[in-house]
Amino acid sequence: MTNSPDERGAELRELFFETSQELLQTLNDDALRLEKKPGDEEIVRGIRRTAHTLKGDSAACGLRELSELAHKFEDALSLEGAAAQTAVSEIAFEAADVFAEMITAYRTGGKLPATKALSKKIQDLTAAPAVKKTRRGTKADGTSSARSSAKSADWTEYEKLAMAKAQAEGLAVYHVVAKIDPHCAMPIAGRQLIQNALAGLGQVLALRPDAKSPAAAKQVEFVLATGQAPEQIAAKGRIPTIAEEVTVELMLEPNPAPKGAGESGNAASDGSNTSDGASAAETLTAPASSPSATPATHVAQENLLRVEAGRIDSVLNLVGELIIGKSMLQQALNEFGKRYPKDLLRGKFTDAMAFQARVLNDLQRSVMKIRMVPVDQLFRRFPRMVRDVARQCGRDVELVVSGHDTDLDKGILDAIAEPLTHLVRNAVSHGIEPPEERRTAGKATQGIVKLNAYHQGNQVVVEVSDDGRGIDAKKIRAKAIELGLTTPEEAARLSDTETLDFIFRPGFSTAEQVTEVSGRGVGMDVVQSVLHRLKATVSVETRLGQGTTFRLKLPLTLAIIKALLFWVEQRLYAIPLNAVLEISRTFEGEVHQVDNYEVLQLRNQVLPLLRLGRPAVDGDGKAKLFVLVILVGERKYGLIVDALEGEEELVIKALDDQTFSTDLVSGASILGDGRVVLILNLPAVVEHVAKSRPEQAGQTSAGLLMTHTDRMRLALTMSNMTTTTGGEA
Amino acid sequence: MEQFAPVKRSKDGQPVRYLIVDDSVFARKNLARMIETFGGQVAAEAGDGLTAISEFDRTHPDIVLMDITMPQMEGIEAAERIVQQHPEARVVMVSSVGYQENIVAALQRGARHFVQKPVKPEVLYEVIKYVLGEDGAVAGAAGAGV
Repeated sequence: MTNSPDERGAELRELFFETSQELLQTLNDDALRLEKKPGDEEIVRGIRRTAHTLKGDSAACGLRELSELAHKFEDALSLEGAAAQTAVSEIAFEAADVFAEMITAYRTGGKLPATKALSKKIQDLTAAPAVKKTRRGTKADGTSSARSSAKSADWTEYEKLAMAKAQAEGLAVYHVVAKIDPHCAMPIAGRQLIQNALAGLGQVLALRPDAKSPAAAKQVEFVLATGQAPEQIAAKGRIPTIAEEVTVELMLEPNPAPKGAGESGNAASDGSNTSDGASAAETLTAPASSPSATPATHVAQENLLRVEAGRIDSVLNLVGELIIGKSMLQQALNEFGKRYPKDLLRGKFTDAMAFQARVLNDLQRSVMKIRMVPVDQLFRRFPRMVRDVARQCGRDVELVVSGHDTDLDKGILDAIAEPLTHLVRNAVSHGIEPPEERRTAGKATQGIVKLNAYHQGNQVVVEVSDDGRGIDAKKIRAKAIELGLTTPEEAARLSDTETLDFIFRPGFSTAEQVTEVSGRGVGMDVVQSVLHRLKATVSVETRLGQGTTFRLKLPLTLAIIKALLFWVEQRLYAIPLNAVLEISRTFEGEVHQVDNYEVLQLRNQVLPLLRLGRPAVDGDGKAKLFVLVILVGERKYGLIVDALEGEEELVIKALDDQTFSTDLVSGASILGDGRVVLILNLPAVVEHVAKSRPEQAGQTSAGLLMTHTDRMRLALTMSNMTTTTGGEA
Repeated sequence: MEQFAPVKRSKDGQPVRYLIVDDSVFARKNLARMIETFGGQVAAEAGDGLTAISEFDRTHPDIVLMDITMPQMEGIEAAERIVQQHPEARVVMVSSVGYQENIVAALQRGARHFVQKPVKPEVLYEVIKYVLGEDGAVAGAAGAGV
C-alpha cells in the first residue's frame, strides 16, 4: 500500500459520498412506496437494509454521527411491530433529509445539522405500545434455546450419560474452557465459531453457559469427546481475535473400547471420529428453516465501472480534435484532387478517408454513448418532490413518469435538473388546482402531473404536463401590456403561442410574482436562459381549464453538432442543422415591411425575417438572398444569409464570457482549413430581434451580431485556439 | 497503514481469490482494497445472494466474504446454499454487531468465520489466515498457519 492512511481515508470518503446518494434515493423511494402501502413489511425491510448499509459505510469512513443515527433508525425498525406504524414513512423521509444534510456537511466541512428532532421521532417509534422489544430475523433462537438451558455448571444427567457413552466408545472426554477476547464485539458469534472448530475434532457433548446469559460473553465451556490430543484441541479452539486463551483438561480417560482394544488412542481413527462429530453437530444445530425457493429472476449488474466524468470528457475532446483532423485531411485531399485529377493515388486516398471517417464516426458515437445516462437518474428525484410540494400547497397530485430509460448526455441532464425542477414544482403548485376547485370544475380531485421523455430525431424531448387550469393568454396579454413589454395594439395581433412567450421574459416573472395572472412565472426566465445555453428550446402548450405542457427539446450532446454553414457579410457562421426546416431563395424585392418588421411570404405562410447583416443599399430589389427557414421553439423564422457554404460536423469550442460579451453566439468551431466559424445561438437571435424596438426597424438589426471589439477579441481568442489545436495534433 | 505479508495459496503459490458479496458498492470496494493489501485477488463481486451463488459457481473462489442483509437473498441463505453445494467453500460473514444472531445462524449453517463491520484490516487479515489454515501460506514467514 503506497497511499498514506490519510489519502486512503479521503478516497474512501469520496466513494462513500458518491454511493450514499444512491442509498438516500432508495430511502426516499421506499418511503414513498410505504406511504402508499402503509405497514408493508417488505418495504420496511428494504428501508432497514438501506439504513444498515448507510450505517456500515459511514462507520467505515469514521463518520460517527451519521453512523449512530442510522444505527438508531435501523434498530427501531427491527423491532416487532415497528413496520405497522404509519409514522415510519414520515420518519424515513425525514431521515433521508437529515442524512443528506449530514453528508453534505461532512463533504463541505460544514456544521452538522441538528438531529435531535429525528432522534426523538425514532425513539417514539420504539416506545410505541404496539412494539414488542424483540428483535426480528433471529431464526437462530429456536435452535439455541433448544439446547439445554440448565444454569449450573453441573452437567445434566443426559450429558453425563453421553460422556460415559463416549468414554465407552474409546474416546477421551475433555473439558475445554475458552476465554473470549474482551475486544470481540460479537462474543456469541465467536462462541459459535469455537464450537464449530471443536465440532471438527470430535463431539461436543455439553456447552456452558447458555448463550443468553451475560457470562456467555466472557468465556465458554465445552465438554468434548474426541480422540485428538489436548494440544490439538487447544490449538483448534484458539481463534485469532476471538479466543486467545484456551485450556483443555481431561475429564474422563478413554475406556478400553469393548469392540477393539487396539483402536484406543489411535490417531488413525480420528478421521471417522471427526466425521461422526461433525454429523452430530449438524443434527444438533439443524437449520430451523428450509431455504425458500426464490426464482432467479435477478440479472447480475456487477459488470459496471465507475469512471470520473472528466476522463470521458477528455476522450470526447480528443475525438473532437480527430474530427478537425479529418476535415483537414479532406481539405488536403480536395486540393490534391484538383491538382492531380488523374492520379491513381487519389482513389486510394479516398478509400482510406472513407474508412477513417467511418471508424471515427463509430468512435464518436461510442464515446458519446458512454456519456449517456438514462433520464431516470433525474426523474427519480421527482416523486418525493411532488409529494412534498403537493402537501405544502394542499394539492392532491399523482406523478406519472414515463420514458425514464431515455438516454441523455450526462452534462445536459445535470444542466436541466434545475429548470425541470422549476417546471415540475410550478405544475404542482400553480398548474394543478386545489381539490375543491377541481371538483367544482367537474374534474377528478386528484391532479396528474406527467413527466415524459423520448427521442425525436437528433433530439431528446422532455415534457412536463399537468391537467390543471391552464394558462390564460388574455391575462398574460394584459399583464404584458401593464409591464410595458408590448402595446395594446401589438398585443391584440399576437397569437396565443406568441403571447405565452412573455412568461419567459425576465421582467415578467419577477414583477409581482405569480399573482393570479396565470400562476406561472417564477424563474421561468431562468429556465429559458439555461436552455438557451444548452442550445435547447422550451415551448408551452396550454388549454384553459385542461392543462399545460412544457416541452423541452434538448440536443443529444453538447460537444459535436451537425451544422449548416453560411456567409453573412463575408463572415462565416453556422447554425445547428436540426433547426433548419428548409432553404429557400428570394430577392430583396420580395421582402415586405409589416409594421416595421421584415416578413417574407413563402408559399402560403408569412415568415418573420431575421437579418444578420445590413440590407443591400442599391435598393433595386434584385439582390439575391438565401432564406433559411428555421424552427425556434414552436415558431418558424426566415434567416437571411448571403451565401451558403455547406454542411459540416462541428466540434464546439466554448467561448468564455470574459472574451465575449454577446449571447448571440453560443460557441465557435475550427474548420479543417483552420478557418473559424461562429455558431449562432438561435433562441437568443430571435429574442434579440423581437426585442429591438420597431421604430429602429429602418436600420433593422444593423450590427446585430457583434460589435467591432467583439470581433477583434474573437479573432484573437480563435487564433490562440488554432495554435493550441495545431500543437496537440 | 499496517503492512501485511502477502498470503498466498500454499498449493500453487498463487494469490488467494475472493468473492465479495455486499449490496453496498462502497463496502465491496473497501473490502477489495483491503484484500489487495493482503496480496489477494478479487475473483468476483456480487450485490445480492442470488448473484453470489452464481458467481461462486462461476469463479470458485478460495474465500467468500458475505454480507448479511442484502436484497433478493440474504447472506445467511446464500452462505448456506453455497456450502450445501460446495462443502469446501470458505464463507466468512461480514456484518455489524447488531446481527450477531444472524451470524450465529450462518455459522451453524456452514459459514467458517465472521468479521465485524466496520472491517478492520488487521482483523480481516487474521481471519483470512485462520480460515485458510494450511491452504494458505504467508510469504516470507514460515509456519504462520494455525
